[in-house]
Amino acid sequence: MNETIAPEFLPLVDAVEAHLLGKRHAITLTLAAFFAGGHVLLEDIPGVGKTTLAKTFANVMGLDFGRIQFTGDLLPSDILGVSYFDQESGKFVLKKGPIFTQFLLADEINRSMPKTQSALLEAMEEHHVTIDGKSHDLKEPFFVIATQNPHEEVGTFALPHSQLDRFLCSFGIGYPDKEAEREVLLGGGSRAGAAVPLIDAAAVRGTMEAVQNVHLSPMLLDYLQSLIAYTRDSGRFVYGLSTRGALAMAAMTRAWAHLHGRDYALPDDVQAVAGEVCLHRLAFKEGVTTLSRLRHELFSHVSADA
Amino acid sequence: MRFLPIWRSTDPAAKQPGRIVSRLQSWSASRELFLLDLAYLAVITPLLLLLKAPMLLFLLLVLVLLLAGKKGSTATLLLVAMTGLLAVFFSIYGAFNFAGLSRLKLFVELILYLLLLAVSLQRLTRTINFYLLISPVLLLALSLFFFDSIAMLGYVVFEVFVLLWLMLAHRTGADPLFSLRITGMLFALSLPWVVLLFFFFPRISFEHASYGFRGDDITRTGHDGTMRMDSAALLVPSERIVMEVGFQGTIPADGQLYFRGSVLYRDKKDHWEPLPSYVRRAFIPAQNAQRGMYGSAQQVTAYKVSLYPTHKQWLYLLDLPLEAPEGATINADFETTLKKPIEEPQRYDAGSALVYRYGGRTERTVLYYALDVNRSAHPRSAKAADTLAAANPDPEQRLGALLRFFRDQNLTYSLRPEPLDLNHTADSFLFDKRKGYCVHFAGAFVTFSRLAGLPARVVTGYKADRKNSVNNYLAVKERDAHAWAEVYAGGRWQRVETTATASFIDNESAELLRQTGTLEDNSDRLTRLNLYLLYVKYQVETWVLQYSHFRQMRLLEKIKTNPLFAAKLAAAFALLVLASAALFLWLRRPRCGNRLLCLLRPLLTRLQRSGFVREEGETLHTFFTRYLAAHPGSALADVDRLYHRQQYGRNEEDAVQFKKAIRAFLREKPAKGSSDAH
Repeated sequence: MNETIAPEFLPLVDAVEAHLLGKRHAITLTLAAFFAGGHVLLEDIPGVGKTTLAKTFANVMGLDFGRIQFTGDLLPSDILGVSYFDQESGKFVLKKGPIFTQFLLADEINRSMPKTQSALLEAMEEHHVTIDGKSHDLKEPFFVIATQNPHEEVGTFALPHSQLDRFLCSFGIGYPDKEAEREVLLGGGSRAGAAVPLIDAAAVRGTMEAVQNVHLSPMLLDYLQSLIAYTRDSGRFVYGLSTRGALAMAAMTRAWAHLHGRDYALPDDVQAVAGEVCLHRLAFKEGVTTLSRLRHELFSHVSADA
Repeated sequence: MRFLPIWRSTDPAAKQPGRIVSRLQSWSASRELFLLDLAYLAVITPLLLLLKAPMLLFLLLVLVLLLAGKKGSTATLLLVAMTGLLAVFFSIYGAFNFAGLSRLKLFVELILYLLLLAVSLQRLTRTINFYLLISPVLLLALSLFFFDSIAMLGYVVFEVFVLLWLMLAHRTGADPLFSLRITGMLFALSLPWVVLLFFFFPRISFEHASYGFRGDDITRTGHDGTMRMDSAALLVPSERIVMEVGFQGTIPADGQLYFRGSVLYRDKKDHWEPLPSYVRRAFIPAQNAQRGMYGSAQQVTAYKVSLYPTHKQWLYLLDLPLEAPEGATINADFETTLKKPIEEPQRYDAGSALVYRYGGRTERTVLYYALDVNRSAHPRSAKAADTLAAANPDPEQRLGALLRFFRDQNLTYSLRPEPLDLNHTADSFLFDKRKGYCVHFAGAFVTFSRLAGLPARVVTGYKADRKNSVNNYLAVKERDAHAWAEVYAGGRWQRVETTATASFIDNESAELLRQTGTLEDNSDRLTRLNLYLLYVKYQVETWVLQYSHFRQMRLLEKIKTNPLFAAKLAAAFALLVLASAALFLWLRRPRCGNRLLCLLRPLLTRLQRSGFVREEGETLHTFFTRYLAAHPGSALADVDRLYHRQQYGRNEEDAVQFKKAIRAFLREKPAKGSSDAH
């Protein structure tokens, strides 16, 4: 991307990058999704730094960090918590599960059963959980990074389409490039000191509000809508983009524009995020759905500024 | 109008899907009918001018039935058919018999009526069939039989355009504006072909089948075959055009533009008359100009005349006409006449010898009439004439003496002279009043000449003025009506401009002439413009409406012999092709939906030319950034910033700076890959 990140957000990205070398784009996307109030689905093979990204990110943002390792026998109550009868007080007491946190890393989410997955997804959408018929609000901001192993692996339950839609965007981290990997081999990533919070809650709230106020001009909306219409009408995809998907695109575009120091969005912002927003939502009728193919398909058929 | 109930409908039942579909179907059917009605409106409008009253009433009836939304039941149709037949019968009643059927115009008229009847019946059934669809074109073709005026030419072009447009709208079902654009494109493409066809297919003439639009055939006067000596003769000098003349070469000198009308011999005191018809009949056969009367063929002036209806028989030709136009005859006095009064505009080609000598074979009877004078009516003139005649025995010298005598009388040219004593016109004019205009000069001179023993006669017609000309086009106005004398001396008839013997012109007449623009060079721009318009009108009439086979031949001849002309013609045609191609491309230009992008267009073209091509799917910002990386410091940076701020930003900024930045960039040297683009 040609554009530079606004000075106020630069330390955040730099801090995370110190631990995850050469993954600036993934870091910026995560930051954008966070400020857009959505959740991220990381989809990649194990061992490329998904967990590192999540942990460092939580630290830098100064958020409570919780982690759930999804396994085949994980139950909803393992996530949400249980209420038990406290004999001393004679009352039912809630034992909160790991979901009661600000930053949740749902690791290998597709290893658990759909029932367990959906428990998490309710919380992601509504920002509250229901235990024994009683609703409990979650702390704000609530941000989930779910990681997912490629479907082909043994012992995975693929997330249904409707649930994938809840994630604002999805991307892989990918292998580092040669130089970054060399530095990793030399211990560069772990040499960095422990990440410290660089932003407070008020600033986060302020930024989230600012993101919502980013201006989408008629021309930009035209572009967005043409892209969305293309996914629906071209006949190249199994399903077109849902309205939630369209909202996700707009939200991510806004956040990306704000991260780059503008209060209005450009087609470039759309192009920066569109692939990641659509990757888990769209599937080509023929052939494999990859990020680069998706981007090429969308951008070469729907031109901006025309 | 018929659609309105559909949209206005508040009937809840109409909201059921089935009903809506059927309503939509009925709308699309009535859309076609609506388009068809528009086509009828376009083609029938000019026809209304020539339809007879019964037919008009019939059409009105059909219109009322249509507007009333009456469904064409069998009974209704039968009634309408009967009414229509009656209307047709009454329209052509009297004008029509079986012999009349051989006259093209009547025949076509009948066909037109029947077609209108058939169309009305079919239209009333509200179903469209093939015959109904082609009927507007048929009506248009029929109307071409009746009109050949410039107004109609323009209207036909308009009609063709409208029909094409409606046809496109009907066939494609696209929205009217889009069809309009397509129609424009088709028109632009066809323009050169139309011009080519125009040249290769001359107009077919239907023997002046023109009814013309109203106002075209107002009766023109000015010259009427006699010459009145009383003051009623000349009213206000009129600017009305009598005829228009197009010369093949340059226009002859002012002194040669005498258009000969009638020749008058007999002095009837208050007016002059031509020879009685029984005398004139003796002069057969009609005389044509002979060799020897004029020098050589090169000295013949060729021209083309458009004469407006005069309700008289004279065709006006320049002195001296060589040959009568088709259908006309030239008599011994070179009067050119038609058998019937002119009720429709006449267009004829003619040739005249401006320098001529004739009269060698003038019959004695003519000379006798040309000497006939009542001496007792003009005693003082007779005395003076006798003195002159005695002093100048040679006729030529005597003629010179006569002219000198007139000049010495100190006559005054006046458009408002005191009335002469009609019993002694010559005496009264020459010795008492000494005031008059061309009529009085000519009359007095002829009388005086006869008294002096020289045969003389009055010629009336038009003396054109070169001030009323543009290039080779000359307009002759009623005001140009004139009278002069012809005197037989030295064995030939000599034209004498008698008015030229006036020594003075009275103030009033001078003022009057100045107002109407004869006396001085008329610099009044409006008049000039008017003249140019007339000129254009004349050229269109000659080259478009009256472009005949003969004209085509002449054109081809000229192309063959004159390479410069051919080149000019080819260049004009090439220009036309270019113009129509440009029009086509202009109509086909991509629509610019966004103002800022429109402003940016030249810049993008420039970038593309200098080898910087926008890649597939590339945003403008990325594109510009790529360019700026190769050419740092370019004004494109400003363009980039301003464009995105205005296009996507929140505030409406004014475009002035943006335009400035674009201009600044365009002023930069076209950079060819190098980085020194400052």
